[in-house]
Amino acid sequence: MSAQARTARRRSLPLTAGCVLVGLVVAVAVVSLFWVPFTPDDTSGDRLMPPGLPHLLGTDKLGRDLLTQLMIGARIALAAGAGSVVLGGVIGLAAGLAAGFATRWLDDVVSALLDILIAFPTLLLAMLVAATQTASLTSAIVAIGLAMSAIVARLTRVLVKRVLAQDYITASRTSGTSWPRVIAEHVLPNIWPTLTVNLALQFGLAVLAEASLSYLGLGAPPPNASWGRMLAEAQASVFIAPVGVIAPGVLIVLLVVGVNLVADGLRDVADPTRRRRRR
Amino acid sequence: MNRKTTSLIGAAVLALALAACGGTGSSGSAGSTPAAGAFNKDATIQIGSLYEPQNLDNTAGGGQGVTEAFNGNVYEGLFKLTDDGKVENLLAKDYKVSADGLTYTLTLRDGVKFHSGKPLTSADVKYSIEKVTAPDSQSARKSSFDMIKKIETPDDQTVVVTLSSKSISFVYNLSYIWIINDQAKSLTTSEDGTGPYTLGTWKRGSTLSLERFAGYWGTPPTNKEVVFHYFTDATALNNALLTNAVDVVTSEQSPDALAQFDGNSNYKVNNGHSTTKLLLAFNDRKAPFDKPLVRKAVTSAIDNKKLLNSIWGDYGTLIGSMVPPTDPWYEDLTKVNPYDPALAKKELTDAGYANGFSFTLDTPNYDPHPTAATFIKSELAKVGITVNINIITADQWYTKVYKNHDFAATMQEHVNDRDVVWYGDPTFYWGYDNPQVTDWVKQAEQSDTTDEQTALLKTVNEQIAADAASDWLYLYPQIVVASSSLSGYPLNGLNSQFYAYGIKKTA
Repeated sequence: MSAQARTARRRSLPLTAGCVLVGLVVAVAVVSLFWVPFTPDDTSGDRLMPPGLPHLLGTDKLGRDLLTQLMIGARIALAAGAGSVVLGGVIGLAAGLAAGFATRWLDDVVSALLDILIAFPTLLLAMLVAATQTASLTSAIVAIGLAMSAIVARLTRVLVKRVLAQDYITASRTSGTSWPRVIAEHVLPNIWPTLTVNLALQFGLAVLAEASLSYLGLGAPPPNASWGRMLAEAQASVFIAPVGVIAPGVLIVLLVVGVNLVADGLRDVADPTRRRRRR
Repeated sequence: MNRKTTSLIGAAVLALALAACGGTGSSGSAGSTPAAGAFNKDATIQIGSLYEPQNLDNTAGGGQGVTEAFNGNVYEGLFKLTDDGKVENLLAKDYKVSADGLTYTLTLRDGVKFHSGKPLTSADVKYSIEKVTAPDSQSARKSSFDMIKKIETPDDQTVVVTLSSKSISFVYNLSYIWIINDQAKSLTTSEDGTGPYTLGTWKRGSTLSLERFAGYWGTPPTNKEVVFHYFTDATALNNALLTNAVDVVTSEQSPDALAQFDGNSNYKVNNGHSTTKLLLAFNDRKAPFDKPLVRKAVTSAIDNKKLLNSIWGDYGTLIGSMVPPTDPWYEDLTKVNPYDPALAKKELTDAGYANGFSFTLDTPNYDPHPTAATFIKSELAKVGITVNINIITADQWYTKVYKNHDFAATMQEHVNDRDVVWYGDPTFYWGYDNPQVTDWVKQAEQSDTTDEQTALLKTVNEQIAADAASDWLYLYPQIVVASSSLSGYPLNGLNSQFYAYGIKKTA
């Protein structure tokens, strides 16, 4: 990477801010693996206690500590985001590469399939996945990942085609380089920056999608504390115990904004024209 | 909350199975104090509800929504039930029972016309009863009429029903049968009843309107039109009430929303009687829940009081058995299996489960079940029992639990009154099989007097509590919130009935 690019990364304010926000959530999730204020299923508190001691953020309907639930929820949100991005990324990249290299008619078929898959609502897909097994975090990740893979695949296909049209590819092939080496040495390095930005954005969308699915009861089953389900459960008592709704809501926003800022920062780093304009 | 949810046919059949099998109708205007001064007799009453009908036929899986909208409003029975559970004549003017208790001679009221204009005759009554008992009928009421041997119609105003065995609840049960024009077609989308309202329009997913029937035989309704507005979300429903989009909410499902209406003079919060019980139902056929001691241990390990408070705040009642206080055979049995984790541990040890065990709890995916399941999991963990919560849809519940009995334990709301008799049926989904109880239930049905029936069903209730046949977690409250311009609405809404004809609106 050039010195210029390195300077840009250092100066990318969105990237820094994004990393701080995401880092906070990751830190909370990591801490929750070793320590939480109360055990997750400790119902010793009173119903809907306001914030105070010993329950810093109060309790939910069952008297469980809200902070504990939120900390565990961070794990689920990150797992959903990461799991979907890995699944969607791997499938999408593979499909996109295949389409990019494919003969014309196969490319057309794959593109049409991708268009259909993209038009298919994620929620409906999740319901179908949940119907075949039972609703769980895994089924939510599979659904979100599948939906995401279509978007990633379409992007990859376009990027791959653009790279393959370049003269240096022809030159490289003429000099006897095998296709796998062309992919490894030319295609992937060239499409990677754009793809990374897209995957980062998809991470944020996956967090939102998992929250939506959990809100609808299609995510991690109780008693796992997903932020989306916490929202749903606290909804009826929003007027008498607002923290129960506000806290998971704010955390979802923070994480998604953080991830989007990271994506934005990555784009600044990856795109020289943008970088110049910013200055 | 919100019993939003799910897959329609199953939910419909389930709601029917459970909703149709018991219950008293609240007799019309149990409502709040009549508003001073005049009311607008041509008012339109906007009713907010969470229970849209699946279809308009209560023998074809219409669900509790069609009961709410149509029972007593569009369709009428031969009898109706008052708020205190007494049977009153409705379309039947009179009836006589033979000395052996096996022949009922019913005389029909004169001058009753269906909405289509056809006069009511005995043939319609015969048709309506047979519609409920038909092989393809999805009415769970069906089995209550097993003892009907034949129905005769000697003349247009007389119906003679012969029973194969005595049935003290026969007249009570008849109040659940809608009298329908025997020529009526497509009853899942239209109606032809004798009630004070005709069906206006039904916009699926949105509203169902009822219009005053000019040819009604009885007292005309105190309003011109009733519109049921259907919501899938309780918060949205409450917001509709706050913005005056609806005048009354038939059944509130969360205590926390009530803070918005309590102490606001524009609204009245009414706390009525409910017959809806939340059950932790064990599969009494299968280990470990085939042992009464294990079931008792689980019951004693769960703090029902705390659970009720978690879900309903200060509302609701603990009952300790299947019978709610509004049933004649109620008694307080909350002490039979008290909350006592130490006792629970001892019972587990005695039953051979000193190290606990684990089981899967099939939990319907709509409130309050997931919340309650979470609480149960936490409580049972304290006595060494591991609960795996398996979230299922209402449709899956109907197939897996209700039909196939493929479960260890489950949760379900049972909305009916007088439904303790289900414990006398060993084939019912929970599989409680105590021949003595079965016999008592049978004897109770064949009793000569209600005292005898009451005494027997009390014994049944005591026995199922002693055996912890299920864990009766709590009895729901029935909360109706209405605009203060409204009066005369039903307060108890037992079995989700909602008689609208007595509702008065000022202005």
